[in-house]
Amino acid sequence: MSDVQESRITDEHRAMIGRASDPIEVVPRTADARRMRELLGDADPRWADGTGVAPPYILAMLEPRLPEDLSPRVLSSGILTQTEWTFSRPIRLEEPLRAVTRLIDVRDRLGGRYGYSVLVMFQTAYLNAAGEEAAASLRTITQFDRPQS
Amino acid sequence: MSQRYFEDIAPDEELEPLERLPTEDQAVEFFGRDNPTNPAFGDAEAGRRMGFGGALVPGLLKLSWIANYVGAWAGPGANLRSVRVAFRRPDIAGKPLTLAGRVVDKRREDGRNVVELEVVTLADGQPSVRGNVQVELPSRP
Repeated sequence: MSDVQESRITDEHRAMIGRASDPIEVVPRTADARRMRELLGDADPRWADGTGVAPPYILAMLEPRLPEDLSPRVLSSGILTQTEWTFSRPIRLEEPLRAVTRLIDVRDRLGGRYGYSVLVMFQTAYLNAAGEEAAASLRTITQFDRPQS
Repeated sequence: MSQRYFEDIAPDEELEPLERLPTEDQAVEFFGRDNPTNPAFGDAEAGRRMGFGGALVPGLLKLSWIANYVGAWAGPGANLRSVRVAFRRPDIAGKPLTLAGRVVDKRREDGRNVVELEVVTLADGQPSVRGNVQVELPSRP
């Protein structure tokens, strides 16, 4: 990662903050929930077969790819460094949800352990047909310049 | 699966550590075999080509382990409010991970019993993921 001491975030990058994707329909599938429960050895009765409730980690299957047109390219590479899931209510199996992803912040990280990097934060809201939020996720991509080899 | 009650929880209470052994098969199976994501998740050679020591353990699998770990500790009457994790370093399939956690706060908030925990995954004793989890616990009947 580079040793830049001045921001490389431009007004054009900042102008992207607040932009949102078109809604994408995602459906928490019963088969995915069962496979994940079995893989994790999760015997929790709240989301056992027949309850119609998805385990919270079903969000891992629903997360849409981050839209290219919402992603400011400040530095050349990026990795996922933070994720937060927030639940407003239990997620129901087979209930279609609309996932809307929004760029919520772009900020510098000057003088970190690996030098200059940029934090790009996206929020995805999962909404039911009535527009009520079932869950949300916050993903932080840390952008950096890959060292020349 | 036993139930924990808000009144019985004390800050600094530690969760029983839990060991997980991630495998390449788990990484692929987690997302479903017809839903490939990062090729390094199920292929040690692809992971090595990308500069890692083998197949990568997906961050979302580790996040799911953490959610499951706290959920099992809290019991079936609890509600998971949020889980936030920072991925500190990559984990490689075949190397055991230890989940460990402790209670850092408990409070009443808008009539609900909220407990906050810090959770880590440890690889060779070093944290690879650090997490903060909020759960709502029932009151003792």
